[in-house]
Amino acid sequence: MLKKERLVVIGNGMAGARFVEEMVARDGADMYDMVVFGEEPNGNYNRILLSSVLAGCHRPEDTFINSLSWYEEQGIKLYSGVKAGWIDRMGQSVYAAGGISEAYDKLVIATGSTPFLPPIDNMYDEDGFMRGGVFSFRTLEDCQAIIDHAASARRVVVVGGGLLGLEAARGLLERGLEVHIAHLGDYLMNSQLDAPAGAMLKQTLENLGLNIHLDKLAESITPPFAQAPVGGLKFKDGEELECDMIVVAAGVRPNIDLARQAGLHVQHGIVIQDDLSCRNDRNIYAIGECAQHRGKLFGLVAPLWEQARILAEQLSGENPEASFRGVKVSTKLKVLGVDLAVMGDKDPQTDDDEQVHYSEPARGVYKKLIIRNGRLAGAILLGDGLTTPSVLQAFDRGELLPDNRASLLFPGAAGPARIDVADLPDTAQVCNCNGVTKGRIIQACQDGNATLESACSATRASTGCGACKPQVKAIVAFEANRAASRAATAISVIGGRKVEFTTISDEASTAPPESVPVAGN
Amino acid sequence: MASTPVQRETATHCPYCAFQCGMRLSGPREAAVVDGDDDFPVNKGALCIKGWTSAEALAHSDRLLNPLVRNAAGQLVPATWDEALDRVADAFLKTRDEFGADAVGIFGGGSLTNEKAYLLGKFARVALGTANIDYNGRFCMSSAAAAGIRALGIDRGLPFPLEDIANAEVVLLSGANVAETMPPIMRYFEAQRANGGMLVVSDPRRTTTAAAADLHLRLTPGADAVLANGLLHLLIRDDLIDHDYIRDRTEGFERVRQVAATYWPERVERITGVPEAELLQTARLLGRASTAMILTGRGAEQQAQGVTNVLSFINLALALGKVGRPNSGYGCLTGQGNGQGGREHGQKADQLPGYRLIADPAARRHIAAVWDFPEDELPGPGKSAYELLDSLGPEGGVRSLLMLGSNVAVSAPHGNNVRRRLEALDFLAVSDFFLSETAQLADVVLPSAQWAEEDGTMTNLEGRVIRRRRAYEPPAGVLTDLKLLELLAARMGRERWFTYASPEAVFEELRAASAGGVADYSGITYAKIEAGQGVFWPCPSVDHPGTPRLFAESFPTPSGRARFHPVLHRSAAEEPDEEYPLYLTTGRVLAQYQSGTQTRRIAELEGMASEPLAEINPITAERYGLADGEMLTLETRRGKARVRARITPDIRPDTVFAPFHWPDEQSANLLTNPALDPISRMPEFKVCAVRIFKE
Repeated sequence: MLKKERLVVIGNGMAGARFVEEMVARDGADMYDMVVFGEEPNGNYNRILLSSVLAGCHRPEDTFINSLSWYEEQGIKLYSGVKAGWIDRMGQSVYAAGGISEAYDKLVIATGSTPFLPPIDNMYDEDGFMRGGVFSFRTLEDCQAIIDHAASARRVVVVGGGLLGLEAARGLLERGLEVHIAHLGDYLMNSQLDAPAGAMLKQTLENLGLNIHLDKLAESITPPFAQAPVGGLKFKDGEELECDMIVVAAGVRPNIDLARQAGLHVQHGIVIQDDLSCRNDRNIYAIGECAQHRGKLFGLVAPLWEQARILAEQLSGENPEASFRGVKVSTKLKVLGVDLAVMGDKDPQTDDDEQVHYSEPARGVYKKLIIRNGRLAGAILLGDGLTTPSVLQAFDRGELLPDNRASLLFPGAAGPARIDVADLPDTAQVCNCNGVTKGRIIQACQDGNATLESACSATRASTGCGACKPQVKAIVAFEANRAASRAATAISVIGGRKVEFTTISDEASTAPPESVPVAGN
Repeated sequence: MASTPVQRETATHCPYCAFQCGMRLSGPREAAVVDGDDDFPVNKGALCIKGWTSAEALAHSDRLLNPLVRNAAGQLVPATWDEALDRVADAFLKTRDEFGADAVGIFGGGSLTNEKAYLLGKFARVALGTANIDYNGRFCMSSAAAAGIRALGIDRGLPFPLEDIANAEVVLLSGANVAETMPPIMRYFEAQRANGGMLVVSDPRRTTTAAAADLHLRLTPGADAVLANGLLHLLIRDDLIDHDYIRDRTEGFERVRQVAATYWPERVERITGVPEAELLQTARLLGRASTAMILTGRGAEQQAQGVTNVLSFINLALALGKVGRPNSGYGCLTGQGNGQGGREHGQKADQLPGYRLIADPAARRHIAAVWDFPEDELPGPGKSAYELLDSLGPEGGVRSLLMLGSNVAVSAPHGNNVRRRLEALDFLAVSDFFLSETAQLADVVLPSAQWAEEDGTMTNLEGRVIRRRRAYEPPAGVLTDLKLLELLAARMGRERWFTYASPEAVFEELRAASAGGVADYSGITYAKIEAGQGVFWPCPSVDHPGTPRLFAESFPTPSGRARFHPVLHRSAAEEPDEEYPLYLTTGRVLAQYQSGTQTRRIAELEGMASEPLAEINPITAERYGLADGEMLTLETRRGKARVRARITPDIRPDTVFAPFHWPDEQSANLLTNPALDPISRMPEFKVCAVRIFKE
């Protein structure tokens, strides 16, 4: 038997663990001895759901994707809670504290990223630890710490008005805190939104009860530190917000130190080629947030999982030529009470780009499409969740858009209007099961089958699923009424009595014909 | 045809779908009068137009009234039964002598009575000795069947009577357009909603059924498992699952829960195209209802991931704690008339009667004993339906074929290939009552009796075994399939195993063969069926009342618990791309049934649906410059079809719908993808990539 190759994966987050799963799905465990280093002390969990955990919607245990026992069952050696220390490329080994060394034939780096912590005075205590009451928001552990502290906190400032910051803020609002968001930009989510959308989002969030402060550069955390963990947060413009909790969500930075020390080519991230291998070492691959592909970093799950799948296809031999060509990026703000989806470019990039937008501030609705060569190059959809899926799919697939762009933004969501049987043409099919038209029912009535039952048995209308019974009933009544009104008109002429005409709807029950006096004619 | 006066009314059942409406036949065959049977509890007198007009096929001028054999000039000409049967038997014996028993194949159908399906399976194993028998039910029920067995330990379409639907607070109907395929069932949904219940339908089309629902989830073709997993994610998140039930009555939830963690709403919305708000609404409806049902149809099942699609819906029903609870649970809506019974008694490549597995030594021993036939001569498992069709001819090795009750030239996927394969056969015999498109390719055509001319039993979608009753003698020159098999077996030297006094005698043997099996009919007799309104299997002894409701106490699995199965969805085998930019999905229309062999010959039905209409969204129509009623060509990697366009917002802009009941250049199955489910071997009828041209 051939000796198995050794495959080592550094990182057990969204990208690394997904890659391992994709390998397992392709019987990769039969081809490789797989070893995984995971810095966090768990199996692996779905980081996407942390906002939901913070908001109290999701229990932490429901975010777990693979338990420790899963790795065991699959024959994968997992170093849980162990951070890989260095990579020896000459010796093709990975080392970690505690005398751990693992040789590799193929190495996958999926070290992800860490929160970016802007330089704020007093953020750390005298021993260099993050001060009590100040949190970053990246891991399940962070999440739990925030939840614990929030239980006794009153007023929180979230630093950063991007996706994660807003989601954290909403979660804390759910936990009953007074929540302030301090954002550096002049409008919220400025990397994904344009200014008008940002302004409208601000309004929407304020309506939910969030306090939003723009153009705020945090400068220092203010005392007293003794009684409360923190006293407040002071900004460069001199303003200060009193608070007893600070959550920093100011973006992330790829974890590239390990790769840099190993002499791999790194720039903003670990530079990878289309086959996801590192430029100067074909036995080492990088995927996920730590990787830089064609100048781009990816922070969303869809491209990470795409990379994981492609690399698994390659290394399992399923498709040795599989390559990553970049993906279309879209995301939604996971904030209860706000429907916001963004994808692709937020503004036109060339003069030829077409821009379609619709704004309805009173309802908080803003929709914008950027169209290039007849296809969607980007979109912002705020306040209209029902339109999102079709626009997203058109974007994902690069579909040619309809000439009438409005049909994409305003799909005929409304169902067909209720139709009055009186307005139906005689050729309209009333009973689908038996193909009976309105005309045939009227004919049956005129042939003496003027009750619902006899009209049905004469035409077979309503003898199948029975759903058309109300319509048949209405038509019978309509016809009876028409006959009666013809008679009544005659009466009114003869007897000078006033006759009222009844409008027939599908549910109206009108007087049966025999109750109307009929004149002989 | 000679006039055959009938004095009395005959209570029997409709020849078409699995709803098996009770009907009463009276008058002579030429002017037979159909009426709904008010006493039969399933349809209570209701019929759809297919039922009302069903008797018109009995004395139709196209009816085959004598065998046909292909002459030296290549034409089908009338022959006597002796000539025809000799031709068939000689061909089979010759093939068997030259190429072995497995070179003779049998292809059956889901419309055959239990007796015929049973005898056909026995004929294959005992008279021919071939492993290669399968049937068109593989194209209908196999995915739900495999999933049911895996998760619940048994495959009975509905584990409860239809009447329970009316009492369910919430019903999720996935990929089933029952308002057209079995219209009278809608009475139960009407009643359900009149009781304050809610109906949710998931379908890429706004079908008649979807239009009648409270909520329509208009999902992307092929995204069924994503939808189910996404709903489960929300139920777990909002803690609307039944922890006690999961602990006490199921196993394997932990892994399913972990998989569900990867189907968060944003991702699910993106893949399914169903807005988050509607996902949440559906999850809450299901999760907060005290009674809830999840029912699947061919939409979710006829895919290369049909089994896992169904498993994902069963997961949902189990997590809700609803399977085996009153007015609740998971069910599959069987399609063909005897789609249920047809899959239980040995017509499938891997099965013996009573839903036994042919590879199981105990099952083989039991059946060998009942048949009084050497166990070691019983063949093993054979090829599944599409694989069987794909292996016809010298290359594949199945060189002679007998086909009963199936018209695969229209109903099988990748029609061009199926036609080539049929033409590559050394010998093809087809039993049918009309010269179907497949029969036209045959060397011998055997005219068979119709539904109103035979006795037997059918098993409806509830698992209720009912009686099909003979109202008329078959016309002169026409035999029942049971008689055909007896005569053929005699010519193969196997007369001893194939001598029955009546269909009831066949059923008596079926009872013994099924005894102790999963689908145990041993306690069912004709008299017992007639005394009540059918008997629900399993019914293991004559004094057993039958089993209308399953799973109340436990599941027929080794542990007695239902089993969760983690489901990771896959893309369809063929997704739209630059070359073929749209999805194609296929299905049915109300006025036609299956390959249309019967219904296309009935004037009133033809009047309602005389040709296939391809449904295209106005947005897509505009892009291609198509107007309503214009002819267009649908083209996939496998073939082309010419159909008329019906422009309607009822279909998604990325999808074209085409019904499959028509032959030749109108045949939707020239287009469909024969990619198979790895477990059920179900072809992917419901999703492939298509391009369209205006003519």
